[in-house]
Amino acid sequence: MEEQSEMVGRAFVDHYYNLFDNDRSSIGTLYQPSSMLSFEGQKLQGSEDISAKLNALPFGQCRHAISTIDSQPSSFSGGVIVFVSGSIQLLGEDYPLRFSQMFHLIPTMEGSFFVQNDIFRLNYG
Amino acid sequence: MDPDDVATAFVKHYYSTFDSNRVGLSNLYQEGSMLTFEGEKHQGSQNIVNKLTGLPFQQCKHNISTVDSQPSGPGGAMLVFVSGNLQLPGEQHPLKFSQMFHLMPTPQGSYYVLNDIFRLNYA
Repeated sequence: MEEQSEMVGRAFVDHYYNLFDNDRSSIGTLYQPSSMLSFEGQKLQGSEDISAKLNALPFGQCRHAISTIDSQPSSFSGGVIVFVSGSIQLLGEDYPLRFSQMFHLIPTMEGSFFVQNDIFRLNYG
Repeated sequence: MDPDDVATAFVKHYYSTFDSNRVGLSNLYQEGSMLTFEGEKHQGSQNIVNKLTGLPFQQCKHNISTVDSQPSGPGGAMLVFVSGNLQLPGEQHPLKFSQMFHLMPTPQGSYYVLNDIFRLNYA
């Protein structure tokens, strides 16, 4: 189970940031109506509001570079907690911004996962 | 009690215990608890507290910058995400860290830590 959560975590992180950087308008597909996002302290709920928030961020192109991925099984059957650290490079900025983010992934009936909880913070220096 | 207040109270309690009586943290973990500390995995209250008390510094002081919390499922469990810094004795600059806790309610009306993930934030 522990190995499995690591695999799920790594595959999810790859997929999530790839979607964020290349097709952000589709990111809502990873959330459901019950999903929660805390973005720099601002709380949003539901895939629609979350997607609207992420697509309205004041930058177009960006590129995430991942430094660490830690995963653990959560108590829910098959749930996985994923903790990410990395940096985000914005177009036209000299220096990337450091961030930490956590996801709580819940398995779907179709054998995939959706994001139930998402908490994002920039790490100021 | 508002979930954000529970989270804030937990965070205060956790780091004040860490800074003043680290061995007392064992009460906050159970057998099924997991800690990933800088990528290293530990399971169970005893192993977790051995790791934390075996860290290569005695005194330390955590300063908290942000606390975010969300309910995790219908049973009263909660996710808490913390950022802050850690001042070690004799060090000029504090270390930045991020940490998350998954708190599970106990029958006694308290919480224990099921999941704990800690990372230093290198610049």
